Amino acid sequence: MNAFSSSKASGKKLALFLLLTPFALHLFFLILLPHLEILNISLRERVSYGIYKFSLMNYEAFFTEPLYWRTFLRTAVMSILTTAITLIVAFPVAWYIAKVVRGRTKGLLFLACLIPFWVSELVRTYGWMILLRETGVISNLLQWAGLAVGPVEMLYNDATVMLGLVYTSMLFMVVPLVSTLDGMDDSLVEAAYDLGGNGWNALREVVIPYAMPGIVSGCIVVFMLSLGNYLTPILLGGKDSLWFTDQIFTQFITRFNWEQGAAFGVLLLILSSLIVWLGLKLSRQSFSETMGR
Amino acid sequence: MTSDIDLSCTDLNKNFGSYQAVDNVSFQIPRGSFFSILGPSGCGKTTLLRMIAGFLEPESGGITIKGDSMLGIPPNKRPVNMVFQHLALFPMMSVADNIGYGLRRRKMKASEIKKKVADALERVGLPDVGDRAISQLSGGQKQRIAIARCLVLEPDVLLLDEPLGALDLKLREHMKVELKKLQQAFGTTFIYITHDQSEAMVMSDQVAVMNNGRFEQVGTPQELYYQPDTPFVAGFVGESNHFSGQVVGRNGDVVEVKTASGQVFHSIERIDTNLAAGDEVELFVRPEMIHLSFEPENKPENALEGEVANILFDGGNSRLLIREATTGAELQVVQPQTTQFRDVKAGDRLYLSWAASQSHIFRARGQSQTPALMQTVEE
Ligand SMILES: Nc1ncnc2c1ncn2[C@@H]1O[C@H](COP(=O)(O)OP(=O)(O)OP(=O)(O)O)[C@@H](O)[C@H]1O
Ligand SMILES: [Mg+2]
Repeated sequence: MNAFSSSKASGKKLALFLLLTPFALHLFFLILLPHLEILNISLRERVSYGIYKFSLMNYEAFFTEPLYWRTFLRTAVMSILTTAITLIVAFPVAWYIAKVVRGRTKGLLFLACLIPFWVSELVRTYGWMILLRETGVISNLLQWAGLAVGPVEMLYNDATVMLGLVYTSMLFMVVPLVSTLDGMDDSLVEAAYDLGGNGWNALREVVIPYAMPGIVSGCIVVFMLSLGNYLTPILLGGKDSLWFTDQIFTQFITRFNWEQGAAFGVLLLILSSLIVWLGLKLSRQSFSETMGR
Repeated sequence: MTSDIDLSCTDLNKNFGSYQAVDNVSFQIPRGSFFSILGPSGCGKTTLLRMIAGFLEPESGGITIKGDSMLGIPPNKRPVNMVFQHLALFPMMSVADNIGYGLRRRKMKASEIKKKVADALERVGLPDVGDRAISQLSGGQKQRIAIARCLVLEPDVLLLDEPLGALDLKLREHMKVELKKLQQAFGTTFIYITHDQSEAMVMSDQVAVMNNGRFEQVGTPQELYYQPDTPFVAGFVGESNHFSGQVVGRNGDVVEVKTASGQVFHSIERIDTNLAAGDEVELFVRPEMIHLSFEPENKPENALEGEVANILFDGGNSRLLIREATTGAELQVVQPQTTQFRDVKAGDRLYLSWAASQSHIFRARGQSQTPALMQTVEE
């Protein structure tokens, strides 16, 4: 303390510096450096063993090979759908937690949203598989109840992938929604009614605009998580899930084509940022405002 | 006659569990008047207002507006609008959109809405703020926008729930006058709830004093001030020095009361009649009704002697805290702003006097005044 008190300003600066150092180091070594290296790898072409030259070939491959960009498009569309479904499911839940229940129940409900994260994603996903596979619980139940004749396969289709993703994402949507809705004065909704509105336009004109920052930040997080998810789509969707992360994995691990994998990685980053930017533009929110809440 | 009544409530009751928040309240409000409900915190004012607005259903009783029963009609279908305690302006809409919200709900044409909004802004004296965000308004401006948002819908009755509570003192004083002017300009019936008696007195045509879910008295501010019906009203409206004692005798309608510490007062009975020797009573004298002098008065109906214990200086509202000579009881007296009394200082000896008609006497509440009254009538 004494050392700082001589010059308060420089003391403050030093404290800030010390506080930020671990974060800056983390940012540099674990995020920036690998990405720069990936960018570097993606921009080269192997000429022969150990010899590389600069090339855009890997990026060309993405746009010329339909499988690649179609996989990306499919992943993006499914992620957007997942985000939308998560929003629709999470909104009433968040409303209930923020506005209807009080005290202890509130905490308990929040905890319930957290429960899926007490087991690892792998175990959780296998749990879903136990339920949904041909010889699984639900299939047996349906047969036992006479609702199905033979075994029912519920795994390995898009709906199941979506279900898994929505389930995994719920918390990330509920938390920002609850925190914005919590800050909303109940009398706003009452005022909307009092001035002649009904439930629907109170929701549309008052609640949703109020909750917009929470909605947008929840959507960004859920979209990014879904797009970059690997385990859930692969396990629940099977080999043909055609998730873009699977393409990246295949390039790196199966084909050992690091250049191509790196290019895909960079493309995923750029394209997903583009989609988020578009989303923000469409909803007329600014990124810093949304995340600053 | 009924056509002149905008709102009428009969025997309204509301319980929360076993707690009776509103207890058999009945009143009628004539068209175009400013009606205040005055009461301490937690007495059920908001609950009553929310029943009129339609957010709460009464357990029993009736609410009619312009002769139509409001029971079972949802808030968005009632011809009443409410200015909320914290205004509840929509923060993500512009001022103009806020005011237009209710008009849009009525499917009015955009051009017409624009005209009405501009007109409403004009009438509340803020013609240029339509495009601003709510956060760019001052407290008093927000106030007026909240009122404009309701009045643009031309409700039969406007409900206001302590809308000045959040403002600072100076602005509150200003808005009191402003509100009254707005009410007169629009000619709408206002129901205004507050726990601040000065707000109620300054603005209202009629004031209802509420306590523990009941209406203690409904009347003009003058009636409440000069002729309080109950000890609660006497104590709550304006300020009063309060004594408890026992009736020791009477002469016509002048009752003689002796307090526990031996002071003897005279007061004219008005509400609780037939007070007899031995009855426990409460006596109220307003600080501004007490006459001060440096010499003993000639045969006043009530006289006390004491010395100045403290001067509570507040400009024209200054009070002297006088410690009574024999009992040591303290009472407040308005300090006259005459040269004679301006230089009074602590320790000065003063003589206090007031007429019997200037104090109010009530049978003590402990004996439950109403049943006691009814008994005497029956006997
Ligand atoms: N929803 C509710 N459930 C249970 N009790 C309630 C409820 N709303 C109000 N009460 C109780 O009813 C009583 C009256 O409340 P109300 O809000 O009408 O008071 P008020 O006169 O408006 O007070 P204030 O001046 O503090 O706003 C209070 O004792 C309160 O605790
Ligand atoms: Mg209240």
